[in-house]
Amino acid sequence: MKILMLAARNLFRNTRRTLITLMAITFGLAMIHFTINLQTGQYHEMITKGISTLAGHVVVSAAGYRDDPDPDRVLTGADAVAEALATALPDAIIAPRIFLGGLLNSPTSSVGVALTGLDPEAEAKVQDIVDKIREGRWLDDDVHGIVIGEKMAESLSVGLGDKLVYMGQHGDATEMTSQLFRVRGIFRTGSAELDGFAAFSNLEAARSLFGAGDIAHMVTVHLPEASGTAAALELARTALADTPGIEILSWRQALPEITAMIQLDRASGDVVLIILGIIVSMGVLNTVLMSALERTREFGVMMAIGMKPLQLARVILLEGMVLGILGSLLGIGAGLLLTWPAIAWGIDYSEYLGGESVDSGGVVVSTIFFARINPLRMGIYTLGAVVFTTLAALYPAIHVARLRPVDAMKHV
Amino acid sequence: MPIVTVRGLTREYQQGAVTVKALNGVDLEIEEGEFTALMGPSGSGKTTLLNQIGALDEPTSGTVVIDGKDLTTLSSAQLSDLRLQRLGFIFQSYNLIPVLSAFENAEFVLMLRGTDAAERRRRVMETLADVGLTGMEHRRPSELSGGQQQRVAVARAIAGRPALILADEPTANLDSTTGHELIALMKGLNEQHKVTFVFATHDPKVMEAARRVVELEDGKIARDTRK
Ligand SMILES: Nc1ncnc2c1ncn2[C@@H]1O[C@H](COP(=O)(O)OP(=O)(O)O)[C@@H](O)[C@H]1O
Ligand SMILES: [Mg+2]
Repeated sequence: MKILMLAARNLFRNTRRTLITLMAITFGLAMIHFTINLQTGQYHEMITKGISTLAGHVVVSAAGYRDDPDPDRVLTGADAVAEALATALPDAIIAPRIFLGGLLNSPTSSVGVALTGLDPEAEAKVQDIVDKIREGRWLDDDVHGIVIGEKMAESLSVGLGDKLVYMGQHGDATEMTSQLFRVRGIFRTGSAELDGFAAFSNLEAARSLFGAGDIAHMVTVHLPEASGTAAALELARTALADTPGIEILSWRQALPEITAMIQLDRASGDVVLIILGIIVSMGVLNTVLMSALERTREFGVMMAIGMKPLQLARVILLEGMVLGILGSLLGIGAGLLLTWPAIAWGIDYSEYLGGESVDSGGVVVSTIFFARINPLRMGIYTLGAVVFTTLAALYPAIHVARLRPVDAMKHV
Repeated sequence: MPIVTVRGLTREYQQGAVTVKALNGVDLEIEEGEFTALMGPSGSGKTTLLNQIGALDEPTSGTVVIDGKDLTTLSSAQLSDLRLQRLGFIFQSYNLIPVLSAFENAEFVLMLRGTDAAERRRRVMETLADVGLTGMEHRRPSELSGGQQQRVAVARAIAGRPALILADEPTANLDSTTGHELIALMKGLNEQHKVTFVFATHDPKVMEAARRVVELEDGKIARDTRK
């Protein structure tokens, strides 16, 4: 359309001013895209790590366990549940877990421990704790094997192959039960909590400590892709429809804190990004207003020969919009360019955060932050930028539409 | 029936406590095909009168009737439409849109009217030839001389075949030779195409070309001479 061409040509009347404004939009948007993509990478890491270590894409436990994770609220018949899930979801990894709290004693000292009983083979494919083992090896079917953190090994003054005795009171037992373990592996995650207080043993050992067979606190289901969660949840519900006294949750339901934290973080991030957008819009407002004021006489002539105020306003609005679209396209390019190193190599925050991992909302994440392109949010902000720059042209457009031709033509 | 009928027209400006009577009771009729010079010293009210006839400004009292329509009864959108469909304008300077070529400037009124592209092209090429600008269609105003720019303005005004063209000192910024050429061009168009012109000037030499001279003094018509 001719009016669009007129707007585009007007923009490049003062090339330097337009280019400076374009650069401001481009740079502002590039920052926004970079921030979004870095955030997306972090959230992705938090979610995937949270899912693999704290839950699963789908989690089956005794009814009420999420709201009140009492160790006595066990899922009985856990093997049957695991079996049914394995049949219903052949591509998934099924990992039952038991969580125990007690004391771990060495000949010289004792510390409190959060002991997880698990299926070593299944978990090796799910958790990256296996990669964090610095000495020894991951668990196998030896029921006396235990893997502990580096700090705990220090507190207990034990090394590989040393004996440890676990003591705790579980299940129906009125007495303390105990079990002998041998240190099989020592891990370091960088998280003080995990390295000092977490330990992993075979599921069978944990069950015998509980004085019960066939139990678990959770039977976790790990899918190849998080996007399959809804379908898997449906299949799990169908497969376990006849099993009484259980709850089946998606990871979103099982990890409400993570979802809430991400939402909060994103909301506070959005405020900053929107403020940045408003600042850039001020630049656009300035450019469009200046260029409109300079052309007052010309607008007078155009209205005198029959152009309607609304048509004129449309030209001005289009100028803002064209500026916004050009800046947005350049901004997408610059944003991807800026994001690319953070995708390929990540950004190393280990110096600032003191270690290779950090505890974030109960999830241990790497201190090398990798970005991840989020096309949807990049698209939303791009669209937002075009809307903002168009709105910034609204004031100049209204100003011009209100001019009387005779008054406008007196301007030189 | 005259194209324009002006009756008892006054236009007052308030300048602080002083009321300036820019037009002080003007009666005038413009007939189709006329070539009228509006003369008078600076400040006599020529621009004010052209703005009234051109539906660009409202009178303090009196009426301007164009095509049988009293302008005071029209809305601003209707006035805008009347200017677009029935009138052509040539101003003293800065007539043209700098980012548009000679062709596009000349085309502007037709574009606003929604004339289709092929018809626009035909009329604009023909009109540019009439004003002697063939071959300069693609030049921007900044690449044209002052006289050529005014010719583009003339082309834009006549391309739409308006009932009346109003020109406010179109030669004021031109040297006298170029100015006379422009007047000669307008007169030629008037004779050839029967386009009606009213133009303001205070150059007595320009008067010679006009067939009718309306002289203004202090906002009133002092003389109205037909040759
Ligand atoms: N917008 C205005 N405000 C105040 N006075 C004006 C305005 N426009 C014109 N005038 C006054 O009206 C008178 C006629 O002006 P104008 O029509 O421009 O004369 P001309 O075009 O013949 O030189 C002058 O005294 C001028 O100062
Ligand atoms: Mg004047």
